[in-house]
Amino acid sequence: MKGTALASRRKRTRRREILFSLLPILVILLIFRVYPIVMALGKSFTNWDGLFRSDWVGLRNYVTFVKDPTFWLVLRNTLILLINVPLQVFIGIVVALLLYEQVPGWRIYRAVVYTPQIISAVIIGFLFKIFFGYEGPFNGILKAVGLGGMAIEWFGTSLTALGVIVFAIVWFSIGWQAIVILGGLSAISPSIFEAAIIDGANYWQRAFRIVIPMLARVLEFSIISSGVWTLTQLFPFLFAMTKGGPGYETSTLDYMIYLKSFGTGFGRDYGTASAIAMMLLILVLALTMIEMKLTNRADDWE
Amino acid sequence: MKGIRFFSIAAVLLAASLLLASCGGPKQPVKLTVWINGADSFIGPTEQQKPQDQWYISQAFRRFEKANPGVSIELVVQADQNAAHTNFKTAGLAGNAPDVANLWTGQPIFALKDVILPLDKLVPADDLKKIVGWDSVRDGFKADGTILGYPAGQNQICFMMYNKSIIKKAGLDFDANPPRTIPEFDAALAKIKAIGVTPILVDEAAQSVCWWLAFVADYWWTQQTTNAGILDETYGRKKFADDQGFIKVLTYYRSLYTRGYFRKDMATSNDSFSQFLQGKGAIWPAVTSFLADAEKSLGPDLGVLMPPEFDTTAKLQNSTIGGPGQSLVVAKNTKYPEMAVKLISFLNSKAEVLAAEKINRYPVVRTDITPEELGWAPDSNIAKLHKYSSTYNYWVDNLLTSEPANVFYLQAALVATGKMTPQQFAAEMDKKAAAQ
Repeated sequence: MKGTALASRRKRTRRREILFSLLPILVILLIFRVYPIVMALGKSFTNWDGLFRSDWVGLRNYVTFVKDPTFWLVLRNTLILLINVPLQVFIGIVVALLLYEQVPGWRIYRAVVYTPQIISAVIIGFLFKIFFGYEGPFNGILKAVGLGGMAIEWFGTSLTALGVIVFAIVWFSIGWQAIVILGGLSAISPSIFEAAIIDGANYWQRAFRIVIPMLARVLEFSIISSGVWTLTQLFPFLFAMTKGGPGYETSTLDYMIYLKSFGTGFGRDYGTASAIAMMLLILVLALTMIEMKLTNRADDWE
Repeated sequence: MKGIRFFSIAAVLLAASLLLASCGGPKQPVKLTVWINGADSFIGPTEQQKPQDQWYISQAFRRFEKANPGVSIELVVQADQNAAHTNFKTAGLAGNAPDVANLWTGQPIFALKDVILPLDKLVPADDLKKIVGWDSVRDGFKADGTILGYPAGQNQICFMMYNKSIIKKAGLDFDANPPRTIPEFDAALAKIKAIGVTPILVDEAAQSVCWWLAFVADYWWTQQTTNAGILDETYGRKKFADDQGFIKVLTYYRSLYTRGYFRKDMATSNDSFSQFLQGKGAIWPAVTSFLADAEKSLGPDLGVLMPPEFDTTAKLQNSTIGGPGQSLVVAKNTKYPEMAVKLISFLNSKAEVLAAEKINRYPVVRTDITPEELGWAPDSNIAKLHKYSSTYNYWVDNLLTSEPANVFYLQAALVATGKMTPQQFAAEMDKKAAAQ
C-alpha cells in the first residue's frame, strides 16, 4: 500500500514537473500564436477598419474576395511561386553532395553558397530588380551577345516577372537547403557511399538511389519549411522587386494581406485582410497535410 | 474668542495666498507632440541631409516655444506618408495620437474623422480669410463641411518639367510656343521622338502612384467631368464607365504608350526623375516639391510646362491639378486643443510662410503674399507656377474614396500597356465604388 501511494505521489510530482516545464512555452504559444489566430478568425467575419467599425458581416469578406477575379490571379501566382520548392530542394541536394564528397575547393563553395542567406531579402529583391530591369545588366548582356530580341521587360508581364522572382528565391535558398541536406547526409554511414563507389555507382545514381531515399525525413522537413516559407514569407522580395504589380500580376495571398491592411489607398480593410489570412492558413495546412501523407506513403513503399 | 478670531484671520490669509499663488504662479508646462511628413511637406528633400536642428520646421518650433513660455514641442518625423495615416489611426484608437499631425488633405483625412478634432470653433477668422484651400479639409469637400484641419503652408502644383536643350534640338521652343492643345502636344512629342529621345519619362506603377494619370491626365478628366461629377462617381451615384470624358482620357493615355511617347518600361520603372536629371528624356510629370532639386541639377536647362487643354470647349481652362495636398490636423485625444491650433496658425502665418520659403520653394497658400515679397524673378519657374496657386483644380486622386483609388493607383499602368481596356478599368472602379 505504502509503495503504491509513493508511486502515485511520484507520478503526480512528475506530471507537475512536466506541466511547469511546458508552461512557459505554452503561455508564449497562447499569447503569440493562438490568440492572434483566434482574433484574426473573429475579425474575418467583421468589416473592421482598424478603428471603431467592427460590425458582424458573416461570410461576406470571404465571398466577396473569392468572387473577385483578383483572388484567382493571386492564388495562381501563389501556386506558381511554389515551383521554387522542388527547384531549391533539387539544387540543394546537388550542392550538398558536392560538398559532402569534398570536391576541390569545397570549403570556399560552402561559404559562398550560404552567402545569400545572410543578405537581407530586401537587398536581394532590389539587386534582382536592377539586374533584370529593362535597361539593366541582364538585358545589356543579351544585347552584347547578339540576343537583343530576347531583351524584354522582365517585370512587365506576369509569367516573366514570376520567373525572375522564382530565380531570386531559389538563388537565396540554395545555401540553406544545402546545409540542411548536408546535415542529413552526415547521419548516413560513409561506408554506404564507399560501397556504392566500389560497386561503380556514378554521382547521379548515388544521388537518386542512396541520398534521396535515406534523406526522406530531412527532405520532408525541408519541403514543408520551404513551402510554408514560400506561402507566407515572400513579402520583402515582392515588395522590393514588383510591389505586387503591374496591377496584381505578381501579388500573392500574403501580399494581398499587406495591400488590404496597409497598402495603397487610405481606408483600411482589416476584415478582408483577416479573411485572406485565414484562407492562407487553410491553404498552408492543406498543403502540409498532403505533403506529409505523400511522404508517409513513400515511407511505406520503402 | 480671541483664538477663534486668530484662526479665522489665518484661514482667510491662507485661502487668499493660495488663490494668488494659483493666479500668478508659473503655468503648467504644455508639451505638444507633432508628426511631420518626411517629404513633400515642411521638410524639403535637401534639408534632410542637414542635422535636424537646422531644419526649417525645427527652427519654427523653437520660435513658437520662445513666444509661448512653458510650451515645448516634440518633432516626430514620419518617413512613410502612407503609413502615417494608419499609424495615426491606430494611435488615435489607443488614445495616444500626437497632438498635431501632418496628413494628406481630402479623403485620407475624411477617413480619419473619428480620431480628428473638428476645428470649426477654433480657427481664427483671419486664417479663414487669408488662407486658400479650406475646401480640401472640409468634410466631404462641402462649403459648410466640418473643418478637419488646416491646409498646410505649402501648395503643390502639377506641371511638366522639360529639358530645354532637348526641346531646342527637336526644333521646338516651349518658352515662346508651349503646346496648348492636344494636337499641338502630339506634334511636339512626335518631333522629340524623331530625334531619338524618349519624349516622356514616367513611372506609372512602381511607386504605387500613377504619376502621369494623377498629375497630368487627371486635369483632362476633371476638365470634362468636373470634381463634383467625379465625387458622384466615387460615391456610386454615377458610373465611371458611363463617363465618356474619363474613357476618352484613358484612351489617349493608352495612345501615348502605343505611339512610343512614354518610356517602354513605365509599368515597372522607378527611376524616371533621375533619368530626367541625366538628360535621358525630354519631359517628366512633376509637382513643385521637386523643382529645387531639378533646378540644381539642370540649371537654366530646366523649363516648366503646364498641361495642354484636352477639351478647348470645357469651362475649366488654363488650370492644372494641385492645391494643398497636405494638412495639419489635431487629434481628438489632445489635452491642449487651443495650443495645438495656435501652433498650426503660427506655422501658417505670413512671417512663417515667408521663412519656410527661404528653404523650400512652393507656391504659397496665403493670399496676402506676393511673388515680389518672396524674391522670385517674374520669369522664374516658381513664379510661373505661383500664377496657378489660386486657380488650380483640386487633386482628383484625393477625391476618390479608398477602394476606387486603389484600382486607380494600382491598375492604371495596365491600361497604358494594353492589359486592360479603359472600359474594363472604369468598370472595375465602379465595382469597387459599389462595394464600399
